[in-house]
Amino acid sequence: MSDRFVYVTYISTTPEKLWQALTDAAFTREYWWGMFLESDWKQGSRWAMKFADGRLNTTGEVLESDPPRRLVLDWHNEYSPELIGDGPSRASFDIEQIGEMVKLTVTHEAQPKLLESVSGGWPKVLASLKSYIETGKPLPNPGNCAAAREQAA
Amino acid sequence: MSSQFVYVTYIRTTPEKLFEALTKPEFTRQYWYGVSSESEWRVGAEWKLRFSDGRIADAGEVLEYDPPKRLVLKWRNEFRPELKAEGFSRCVMEIETLGEMAKLTITHSIERDNAKFIEAVAGGWPQVLSSLKSLLETGKPLPSAK
Repeated sequence: MSDRFVYVTYISTTPEKLWQALTDAAFTREYWWGMFLESDWKQGSRWAMKFADGRLNTTGEVLESDPPRRLVLDWHNEYSPELIGDGPSRASFDIEQIGEMVKLTVTHEAQPKLLESVSGGWPKVLASLKSYIETGKPLPNPGNCAAAREQAA
Repeated sequence: MSSQFVYVTYIRTTPEKLFEALTKPEFTRQYWYGVSSESEWRVGAEWKLRFSDGRIADAGEVLEYDPPKRLVLKWRNEFRPELKAEGFSRCVMEIETLGEMAKLTITHSIERDNAKFIEAVAGGWPQVLSSLKSLLETGKPLPSAK
């Protein structure tokens, strides 16, 4: 695993609620633009991330699961021809309570191409997650906004 | 030969409001550990971040000023000797409109390997910008993590 992307955000919530937001399909659909996660979230279990229409986005194994503090996922992209088979990758989620808020650290280790992709993706997803938890309203997908702007131009 | 920290976040707000939040002391005091951002906000003007007790936290110069899209600051820490000793850094703040939200990209760099200063701002920016996002979206900043 050649390199890593680290993103930290602070959210006004509890570790339990944030854990649910990261692992519960009904929750992820709300802020992750229809994407949902499936697993029993036990160490050694399989997990999958699927698009709203059911197509696979990412799969892997649950490497560590210590709710509501730490989750480590083995991560294989399943939909982008460029990224499938781009070597081993793992994403770690560390949740720390600080008074009335929670510090979330996402660390994603991956090969260069996947790393570039997830480095662009995590800030979007985690900004929407924070908005959803704090305001009840997720953000629109920035990718769609950019595409709409290009079409309009 | 250099160290850099990059942070991107998306905020449901307008570029104008976000630019104001980054430059007006009445805003910065609310989400940025109580510091006031002081400057005349023109290219070449001095710029300071002042703690609520009057001490200077950081200081430098406005290198580029293009509201509400871009702000570049020459930036040196003034209250931690080991960080001050590393000299001036460059902080680029870029704001892009994406529909009903704004994308904010902070790129903070210094011409020095493994800079302690960059390590410090890498810890600070996520707190400051998380609180800024909360303030703009909910009207309430986050409590200080310190």
